[in-house]
Amino acid sequence: MSFKITKMIDLDSIDFLVDVEAPEVAERFHPGQFVMLMTRKEGERIPMSIMKVNDGKISMYIRKLGKTSKELRDGITSFENVIGPLGHGIEEKKYGTVVVVSDAVCGHAENYAICEALGKIEGNNIISIQTFPSKKEIYPDEYLTKKIAHRHFITTEDGSFGDKGSYVTTLKRLLDNDVKIDYVFGGGKLPTMKAVSTILAINNIDNLFTTRQMMVDGSGMCGSCRLYIDGEMKLSCVDGPMFDSRKVNWTRAMKRYGMFKKEEKIADEYYEAHKGGCGQCQK
Amino acid sequence: MPKIKPRVPMGEQPPLQRIKNFKSVPYGYTEDEAVEEAARCIQCKKPSCEPACPVNIGIKEMNLLIAERKFEEACLLVKEDNSFPACSGRVCPQEKQCEGDCILKKFDEPIAIGKLEAFIADWGAKHKVEVEETIANNEDKHVAIVGSGPAGLACAAECRKYGYAVTIYETLHKAGGVLQYGIPEFRLPKDIVDAEVKKLEEKGVEIVLNHTVGQNIYYYELVSQNDAVFLAMGAGAPKFMGIQGENPLDGVYSSNEFLIRANLMKAYKFPQWDTPIDVGKIVAVLGAGNVAMDAARTALRLGAEEVHIIYRRTKEYAPARAEELHHALEEGIIFHELVNPVRFHGNDQGFIDYMELVKMELIEGEDGKLHPTPIKDSSFYMGVDTVIEALGTVPNRLFLDRAPEIKRDKKGVIIVDENHMTSVEGTFAGGDAASGAATVIKALGEGKRAAKSIHTYISSHDD
Ligand SMILES: Cc1cc2nc3c(=O)[nH]c(=O)nc-3n(C[C@H](O)[C@H](O)[C@H](O)COP(=O)(O)OP(=O)(O)OC[C@H]3O[C@@H](n4cnc5c(N)ncnc54)[C@H](O)[C@@H]3O)c2cc1C
Ligand SMILES: Cc1cc2nc3c(=O)[nH]c(=O)nc-3n(C[C@H](O)[C@H](O)[C@H](O)COP(=O)(O)OP(=O)(O)OC[C@H]3O[C@@H](n4cnc5c(N)ncnc54)[C@H](O)[C@@H]3O)c2cc1C
Ligand code: SF4
Ligand code: FES
Repeated sequence: MSFKITKMIDLDSIDFLVDVEAPEVAERFHPGQFVMLMTRKEGERIPMSIMKVNDGKISMYIRKLGKTSKELRDGITSFENVIGPLGHGIEEKKYGTVVVVSDAVCGHAENYAICEALGKIEGNNIISIQTFPSKKEIYPDEYLTKKIAHRHFITTEDGSFGDKGSYVTTLKRLLDNDVKIDYVFGGGKLPTMKAVSTILAINNIDNLFTTRQMMVDGSGMCGSCRLYIDGEMKLSCVDGPMFDSRKVNWTRAMKRYGMFKKEEKIADEYYEAHKGGCGQCQK
Repeated sequence: MPKIKPRVPMGEQPPLQRIKNFKSVPYGYTEDEAVEEAARCIQCKKPSCEPACPVNIGIKEMNLLIAERKFEEACLLVKEDNSFPACSGRVCPQEKQCEGDCILKKFDEPIAIGKLEAFIADWGAKHKVEVEETIANNEDKHVAIVGSGPAGLACAAECRKYGYAVTIYETLHKAGGVLQYGIPEFRLPKDIVDAEVKKLEEKGVEIVLNHTVGQNIYYYELVSQNDAVFLAMGAGAPKFMGIQGENPLDGVYSSNEFLIRANLMKAYKFPQWDTPIDVGKIVAVLGAGNVAMDAARTALRLGAEEVHIIYRRTKEYAPARAEELHHALEEGIIFHELVNPVRFHGNDQGFIDYMELVKMELIEGEDGKLHPTPIKDSSFYMGVDTVIEALGTVPNRLFLDRAPEIKRDKKGVIIVDENHMTSVEGTFAGGDAASGAATVIKALGEGKRAAKSIHTYISSHDD
C-alpha cells in the first residue's frame, strides 16, 4: 500500500506540516486521535497526531527529530502505511469556556483540531494558547489557531514574543483575572503538563491532556505505552491518548523516554551515512 | 515386540552457532531421514496417536505413505485435516499430544510425528502440492473474520471452500497473528507464514490489514454488511506482574513488546530496519512458558551475555514445549527454579539495576495441588540490565469494550456454544479469543469447525 504525500510545508525549520491522502482515516477522525505512520516497509510504527482533515487528506505537524522524521525532510513522497485513526477522540459538544493549550509539535496538532471542532459548536468560547521556544519558531499565521479560536495567545519560552514562559503563565493570568474556565484541553511537553496539572487541580478544572508515551502497535498488544492513572495501569493507545492531567502520574510517565536513546543515535547516524540511496554501501 | 530402531535424529544448527543468528534451529529431515523415521511406525491396529491429535490427523497413514515414499499422497492426506501443517509441525506441543500417546513411547522414543508433519508440509510446498478444491458458488454470501491468527486463517480457508466471499480484518500491518509477531523466526520462519497467507489470498480471501475492529472499523458495520462474523482476535494483551518499582523503569518489557519489536518489526535487523530494541548484558525473563523461552532465546541472539529464566516452580512444571526448553538450556540459558521477584530497583538513569527475589517452596494445598509459596526471610538480590515479563497474555479489551453485546466471562474470554456461536446470533468465535491463551493447533481446529457451523448457519438462513 502507499499513501501519497500531497503537501509538505516548512513551519519553522524544525516542524513541518505534512498532508497525506488517507481517505478512510479522514472520514473517521475525531479531534484528539492519532495515526501510526510507517515511512517504508522496514520503518518503525510512529504515532502522530492529526491536526486537520480535509477532502480525504489528513494534515500533521511533524518534528524533525530522529531518523524517521529526517526521511520526511529528505523528500520521501509517500508513506508505506497510515494506520488509524487510533485512540479516543474528544466529545464534540458544548463545554462553555474552553482553553486549549500546547507547547510542542504534537500538542499544536490537537490544539488546532480541537479549536476547529469545538469552535463550530454554539455556546463554546474557545481560548487557545500556543507556546514556542522563541519568536523565530512561531508557525506562520494560517497554521496557528489564531483564526479558529475566539481568543488566541502566543507565549515564548525566551520571552521574545508574548508572555515569557509556557502556556501555564498565560493560563494563570486568565485565572487571576477571574476568567471562568469550564474545560482545558492540551498537549505537548511532559514537564509542562505536569506543572499545569497542579494548577488545574487547585482550581478544580476538568481537563484532558495528551500523554505522549512510547508506542509500538498502538492497539493494546505491547504494553509499551502503559502509564498510571489514579494508581491504575492504563494503556495510552487504548484508553487514551488523552487523560485527566490531575490523575496522571507524570513522574512515572516521563521516565520511559530514555529507553532507546542509544539506539536512536545509531539509527540517526546510520541514516545520515546511508541516505545517498545508491545502495552501494549496503552491499 | 520387534526391536525398535532409535529415532532418527534431526540435524540442527549447533548451539554456539545458532545463538548468533535468527535462522531456523532444526534443518528439517531429508527424504531419506523421513522415510527411515516413518518406517519406525509399527502401524498399530488402534493408533493411540490419532485421538491425541486435536485435529485428528491420519498419522498412521501418513507414516505409511512417507515410509513408502508416497510424499504427495502423504501431504494431501495431512492437509485434509490441517490446513497449516508446516506451522503446527514446528510449534505443536507434540509431547503432550500425538507423540505423548504414541505406543512406542513405552519402549523407546515415540515417532517424531511433528518433524514428519513439518517435513511433508515443506516437501509439499517445494513440489507445489495443492489440494484440488471445488469452490462452491456462494459469493453473494459474505463472512467477515476478525484477526488473522491461526483461527482466523483456518476459518477463512474453510469458508472459502464453501464459496463465501471472505474478508479478514487485521490490526497489524502483517497477517499471521502470533505466528507472525510472536513466535520467532528461528522457530517458525516467516517465509512459511507469508506463503500460507499468500495462498489464501490467491484463493480469493481478502485480507484488510491495519484495521482494528472496534477502533477504525466497527463491529456493527461487520454485522450489517456480512451474513456471519467470526471473532478470532486471540488473547494478545500483555500481563504485568504488578511488581513494585515496575513502571518507572526503562529496560522492563512485556514479552509482547519485546517479541513484537524483534519479530514483527525485525529489530534484529536494526539499524537497516528502523525499530530499535535495547538488550542489556544480563537479561532476566520472568516465566517459563513458550513465550518466556522465545523471549529468552531472542535476547540471547540479540547479544545478551547472560539470560536467566526466573520461575516460581520447578523445571518439570514449565509449560513450554519440551523441545524449546531443551533448546534454551542447550543454548546456555540459566534456569532458576523456585524463585519469585518481589521488587525492581532502578539506577540514576531510570534503568532497571537489580531486583529483589524470594525463594519459593511447593506446598500442597487443600485442593491437593502444589502451590509455590514464598519462604520466609529468604530474599536475595540479582543484578540485571533488562527484564522481560513473560507471564502470559489476556484478551485485548479494545474490542470487547466496544461490543458489550457479546457475552464473555470475567477474564474477557468470549463465551460460545458447541457450534462456536457467541451470544449474538450469526457471530461466532474461536481460538484464544474464545478459550484464553492456548495452542496454535487448537486455534486451527476451532477455526475450521467454526467454519462448518457458519456454513450450516448461513445455509439454514438462505431464502
Ligand atoms: C499519541 C502521540 C502523538 C504524537 N504526535 C506527534 C505529532 O503530532 N508530531 C510529532 O512530530 N511527533 C508526535 N509524536 C511523537 C513522535 O511519535 C516521535 O517524535 C517519533 O516517533 C520520532 O521518531 P523519529 O524516528 O523521528 O525519532 P527517534 O530518533 O526514533 O526518536 C526521537 C524521540 O522521539 C520519541 N519517540 C521515539 N519513538 C517513539 C514512539 N514510538 N512513540 C512515542 N515517542 C517516540 C522519543 O522521545 C525519542 O527520544 C506523538 C507521539 C504520540 C505517542
Ligand atoms: C510468543 C508466543 C509463543 C507461542 N508458542 C506456541 C507454541 O510453540 N506452540 C503452540 O501451539 N502455541 C504457541 N503459542 C500460543 C499460540 O500462538 C496461540 O494459542 C495462537 O496463536 C492463537 O491463535 P488465534 O488465531 O486465536 O489468535 P492470534 O494468533 O493471537 O491472532 C489474533 C490476531 O487478531 C488480531 N486482532 C486482535 N484484535 C483485533 C481487532 N479488534 N481487529 C482486528 N484484528 C485484531 C491480532 O493482531 C492477531 O493478529 C505461543 C504464543 C506466543 C505469544
Ligand atoms: S501410536 Fe505411534 S506407532 Fe502407533 S500408529 Fe501412531 S505413530 Fe505409529
Ligand atoms: S502501543 Fe502497544 S499497547 Fe499501546
